[in-house]
Amino acid sequence: MRLFLAAVVCRLLRFIGRLVGKGSSLPGKYALKICPDVLGRVKLPPCVIAVTGSNGKTSTVEMIAAILRADGKTVVYNEEGSNQIEGVTTLILCNSTLGGKMTADVLLLESDERYARRSFRWFHPTHFVITNLYRDQLTRNGSPEWVYNAILPALHPDTTLVLNADDPLVSCFARGRGRVKWFGLDECAVSTKEHHGVYHDGARCPACCGRMEYSCYHYEHIGHYRCADCGHHRHDADFSVTALDLESGTLTIDKETEISLAFKSIYNVYNILAAWSVCSLAGADKAVMARVINNYVLKNGRMVCFTIGSHHGTLLTSKHENSVAYNTNLGYIAQRAEPCEVLIIVDAISRKYFTGETSWLWDIDFNQLNRAHVKKVILCGKYVNDLAMRFDCTEIPGEKIVCCDTVPQAVQLLEGDGDAALYVVTCFSDRDKLLNLAKREG
Amino acid sequence: MELTIAHLYPDAMSLYGEYANITVLRRKLEALGVEAAVREITFEDAADLSGADFIYMGAGTERRQKAVLNAAASLGARLKAAVEDGAVLLFTGNAMETLGASVTDAAGKVWPGYGLAEFTTVETDRRDPGDVVAASLLWDTPAVGFMNKCSATHGITSPMFSELPLGFGNETEHGPEGYVSGNVFATHLTGPVLVKNPHILDFFVRRLFAVKGWVCPEALPELPHQRAAYEVTLRELRARI
Repeated sequence: MRLFLAAVVCRLLRFIGRLVGKGSSLPGKYALKICPDVLGRVKLPPCVIAVTGSNGKTSTVEMIAAILRADGKTVVYNEEGSNQIEGVTTLILCNSTLGGKMTADVLLLESDERYARRSFRWFHPTHFVITNLYRDQLTRNGSPEWVYNAILPALHPDTTLVLNADDPLVSCFARGRGRVKWFGLDECAVSTKEHHGVYHDGARCPACCGRMEYSCYHYEHIGHYRCADCGHHRHDADFSVTALDLESGTLTIDKETEISLAFKSIYNVYNILAAWSVCSLAGADKAVMARVINNYVLKNGRMVCFTIGSHHGTLLTSKHENSVAYNTNLGYIAQRAEPCEVLIIVDAISRKYFTGETSWLWDIDFNQLNRAHVKKVILCGKYVNDLAMRFDCTEIPGEKIVCCDTVPQAVQLLEGDGDAALYVVTCFSDRDKLLNLAKREG
Repeated sequence: MELTIAHLYPDAMSLYGEYANITVLRRKLEALGVEAAVREITFEDAADLSGADFIYMGAGTERRQKAVLNAAASLGARLKAAVEDGAVLLFTGNAMETLGASVTDAAGKVWPGYGLAEFTTVETDRRDPGDVVAASLLWDTPAVGFMNKCSATHGITSPMFSELPLGFGNETEHGPEGYVSGNVFATHLTGPVLVKNPHILDFFVRRLFAVKGWVCPEALPELPHQRAAYEVTLRELRARI
């Protein structure tokens, strides 16, 4: 009876919420008040996939949904990104009968890494994909190790873990477990023997703090590693990218399926591979997977094209407080050949909460922009002085750097100055300040 | 003019941008004609602190901090000897905790500290990362920064900061924070503390000049953008108090 009541209230509040433009967590919150164990009572589909990690959750989930739907399955997932227990409750109850039975074939959940334990107290996924654990939003997360400790109790012994073999911290989740499938990237054209970046989170073993040895790095501390002290090492992958050419934008999965990349970023490669792996495990047809994922353009709006003055611009949405997200986008710009200008905006560090914390700027490898084709770097926003000080400590010539206090000032500067390609690197919290002053392209 | 900076365990005790403290200190010293050599010390090294004028350790994860305490049990004696020889110490984040008598982890295990001070630290399973504004009698203007701790430190009678208008002190919200004794300085402020606070950077430059017996100019050169960045952050944080 309480389940029924919770389901009715949840749906009603969701209906009203949609009318007035409210988010999706409130209905679930009230449903949980009426029936605290509602998630333990509903009948879930045979396939429940969860995705968590520091970066790539939203993109991976979107691709998993696209593949499985093309494969003929009905998929319910939290497209709005409500990834805590309240939002998950709303999602499940609004896609169930009033008797509490989900009708979809697959429940797919992007799960907040710190609150996964709460969400999965009452049920557990059949497959749990963990993409990576990086320095990310220290203002909320503390450290990658703290996040690891928060995820660990959410992993049920019956769940199949689908883990990034190339991430030394993520691979620790497999310790003492039987049900693990690995995905990873073979040594390939993008791999290096030397570590690149201003910090090295793979220098020390996450298990014993011993000295780690890498046979290759793909980016940051992601690569092929072995601890010289305790032997913690990269596992052979069940699903592999066996060849990768980021310049031409092609990758090969398991030596047989060639995929073209709409976005030529190493990030995208891992997201595709994670989606491929779990969809394979869920029984999707290979030909369907290849067709959907080939040249897949993400719909989550993280890469946006626009015009300012005579500049054709590309917004590469990063995450403030996340140096890996920045580094990946800066690496993308560094690989371009045509002359370009780069605009970096740090105005509001978060859209969800206030912080004045700027330590993360020192973890970003801005030296990647020290290329001949990067003609100018415009720094902008409330924290422009922090940015400028950080750039003073790079090798980028000072005469290439211009500072603006506000986004409108930067736009004004660009409107009256040249037609070079423009790359904008900033966060969700600041991107609309620019896009509202630009002309969007299809 | 030359001096030596010893950076302890930079590959393990590096939570967010700690290395930048050394970067800006060197820059400032260079602007004053001082050449600063940096000796990075890892677990595999013998922790040679001889001749070190400035010794720094930054924040690490809880596990890394224990590895440091475990792997370098003899470091306490070396640190004491270095301080007696006139070295200036700065430990930030949870590196501060290692200077005390002990750290009790969340599971209740007691880890002996380096013993440069009497204080003790107890970790909890609760973490409240947050912005900080910290007032000190050592400086005219408050410090700004960030704290990322899951512990309380007890028994400090000579804190670095007298009160925190914003943030959690050694034991209580808004309470005294950090530790000072002679040339030993410690604070739980995390990350690039010397980047964010030009006056604290100046303080350590002056202190280093003093211990070296060099004459320090009345007005120190400013690093471009540093003071402006500090003022924006202070203004933003004060608006939250």
